[in-house]
Amino acid sequence: MNGVLIMELVFGLLLSLIVLGFMVWGAKTGQFDDGEKQSSGLLFDSVDDLNDAIAKEKKQKENIKKDKIN
Amino acid sequence: MSKVKCSHCHIEFMEDIMINDGDLKFCCNGCQGVYHLLKDDGLESFYDKMGNNTIAPPIQVDDDVTKFDRESFEKRYVKLTQNNDKKIDMIIEGIHCAACIWLNEKILSETDGIIEANINFTNNKALIVWDGSKISLSAIITKIRSIGYNAYPYDRNIQEQEATQEKKEFFIKMMVAVFVSLNIMMIGVAKYTGYFAGIDDEILNAIHIAEFILSTPALFYSGSIFFKGAYFGLKNKVINMDLLVASGASLAYIYSIYVMLGGAGQSYFDSVAMIITFILVGKYLEVIGKKNAVDTLDTIKSQIPIDAVVIRDGKKCEILIDEIVVDDIIELRTGDKASVDGEIISGNATFDESNISGESIPVAKKIGSKVYGGTINLDSVVRYKTTCDFEHSTINNIVTLIEDSLRSKPDIQTKANQLSKVFSISILSIAILTFISWYIYNGLFENALINAISVIIIACPCALALATPIASLMGISWLAKKKILFKESKYLETLSKVTTVVFDKTGTLTKGKLNVLNMSETNLNSDTLNMIYSVVDSSNHPISQSVKGYLENEYQNLVSHTLEDFKTVASKGIICVYNNDKIVAGNRTLLEENGINVSIQSTKSLFLVAINGILVTYFELEDTIKDDAIKMIKYLKSQSINIIMLTGDNTAVARTIAHKLDIQTFESNLTPIQKANYVKKLKLNNQIVVMVGDGINDAPSLVSADISIAMGNGADVSVGLSDIVILDNKLDGVIDSFIISKRTYKFIKQNLTISLIYNIITIPLAVFGYVIPLIAALSMSLSSLLVVGNSLRIKKK
Repeated sequence: MNGVLIMELVFGLLLSLIVLGFMVWGAKTGQFDDGEKQSSGLLFDSVDDLNDAIAKEKKQKENIKKDKIN
Repeated sequence: MSKVKCSHCHIEFMEDIMINDGDLKFCCNGCQGVYHLLKDDGLESFYDKMGNNTIAPPIQVDDDVTKFDRESFEKRYVKLTQNNDKKIDMIIEGIHCAACIWLNEKILSETDGIIEANINFTNNKALIVWDGSKISLSAIITKIRSIGYNAYPYDRNIQEQEATQEKKEFFIKMMVAVFVSLNIMMIGVAKYTGYFAGIDDEILNAIHIAEFILSTPALFYSGSIFFKGAYFGLKNKVINMDLLVASGASLAYIYSIYVMLGGAGQSYFDSVAMIITFILVGKYLEVIGKKNAVDTLDTIKSQIPIDAVVIRDGKKCEILIDEIVVDDIIELRTGDKASVDGEIISGNATFDESNISGESIPVAKKIGSKVYGGTINLDSVVRYKTTCDFEHSTINNIVTLIEDSLRSKPDIQTKANQLSKVFSISILSIAILTFISWYIYNGLFENALINAISVIIIACPCALALATPIASLMGISWLAKKKILFKESKYLETLSKVTTVVFDKTGTLTKGKLNVLNMSETNLNSDTLNMIYSVVDSSNHPISQSVKGYLENEYQNLVSHTLEDFKTVASKGIICVYNNDKIVAGNRTLLEENGINVSIQSTKSLFLVAINGILVTYFELEDTIKDDAIKMIKYLKSQSINIIMLTGDNTAVARTIAHKLDIQTFESNLTPIQKANYVKKLKLNNQIVVMVGDGINDAPSLVSADISIAMGNGADVSVGLSDIVILDNKLDGVIDSFIISKRTYKFIKQNLTISLIYNIITIPLAVFGYVIPLIAALSMSLSSLLVVGNSLRIKKK
């Protein structure tokens, strides 16, 4: 019985630390910098909006790549 | 006549003034133009995204955009990326909702040559990166203007970079602390239940290890700021709150590790995480406040003109404001903002000086009149000779003063802080004495050390840490329900100790709008009345609008005719013709210039109307006091608070208003900087000062006061820089702020007393070595419950 409880504790802790790791990564990469934009952005989830978001991200990545080459 | 929504901006207007375009209705040509532009570009989904939000009608700017491509401009604002692309920081004006952000980003990112366009919704700041060989900055700004917005460049300074970095760092630290605390408390439930229901040693050990893993990042990562603060405090020989938090939490942590490794006693890993989290959340709110203040300052700076038209060697040339020198001749066209101070040498014009004086009524200027940097020329072309360079101009002085005050804003030491210092020194002394006494008594080092640490731990935790935040939270949420926004909880305590309240006049105590007091001749025939009504209906000047409102209230069935030869005479009035009758309406000067004799004596503002050279009537106008102003002044007097009124208006008007409100102390003809100096002088005389204001002109004095209160409808700048914002603009809000702050402060003191009594009872138990697990577990919860329960009583009134 104790073994099961300890296992639960260990896995629970591990999972929560992984989630925390993702949140810290998100914050460090600026994903929480503009709270209002992020929360209202959830409303714009049509196919066109998502395609736009992908295109924008792609453009930015290409630009970063170009920067690195130079 | 019913009201209908504009198809673009969604603001409701009377149906008869709308522009009909098929099934669509527009309030102005700007809205119509933008609507069709968006439709042609396939961006109609903007309106779906807008939902029920409204936006301001498009901003019409017609200045020369080529200045954005000039070398001197580029040198100052444009930077190069590693890839040799250009980038600029801008503030976008006119953003109201998420759809506005979407539209701007979409239209920019689809423009050929623009590599990146990222707009921050929270502060409306944008970063734009573009390929200089494909598109120019002027073309980018034209694009933004074409959809009804405007963009100003701003200089991203070190202060902003530091504030942004600090906010991010604190956010991550707080996130880790909150996350860890939630988990640790969840595990803690099992541990505390175990004390009473029994728990296997094996499980208890596992819980201790889990708590250890969780509390370690809370103490050493999230809590690192307290260690840094304590280190710098000690270096400067100061015992600060950081030292207490760091030492209390570290000792609890070390002691808990000792328990985890098999020592006697209770672990306090949960307390370590909770203490760090609670205090860190408070600190994070302070950091956000600081970042918002920096953003607000950037907004003011972005409104300073970038360049000016200077006449040198008889030729007009546009130069950057930094290059302006004393005795330069500057030309201001209609709508231009003066960048530096000077004296008019040719032309007459009306200036909007609300940025400087707070007065919404435009001021007439002629040759020899002074022009202040930051004021706007409303209606004609003037030339003026500069009397200073930009660095010494009024507008730059205001910005510098705000910057300095924000940096050095005094922090009134709160009761809890003062108490904590005395308390911590006492506890540390008791702990040392406990250690020495036990060591002398039984010679057991370990036993003496554990008893000493127990004293610190039992004294340190929650009750004292919770005493202030919980009561403040109750007070602040109660205030928020009354539409009063406190940006930080510490202002509750400061407000309850205030000795002097300083008010701005226009817009704060008065409505800031001229109202008609009386009309000299009321028995006019309907033809004459309709002529007067037609004149005021055709002008947007605030005085015309007030007269129009008065006529509409007093008379029925008024008809507005179409007038001929309508001419607005800058800062004087209107001349027009109706059915061959010449109408001259405006101030005394205009009528006298047109050969009409005016022999009326009045201390009020006058609006006179003459038809065919004969004065038919005149209106006396005056700014009116807000409905709840007298009640508020009475309340403040009943609390023995000094009341002072400061205004940029003239002495006669200031005296009348002060007399009506029963305010004994007032100062008139003050510039924003003089107002700020007055506030500073009061503080030097040991007064705790609240400044209540609403305009940009009040910004320096708002930041100079101990606490600032802004009216929600005031300029964004004053709202951004104030500590307290009264969202519904009612002066009753000032009374509520005082009443609730005093009540909350009373409860903070009660809570501190409760936690002190708790410590007086439990510390002796720790000193004598009686802190058994049951007492530790009970006291942990009981003291916190007492404080929380007491705070809940704040609203019961």
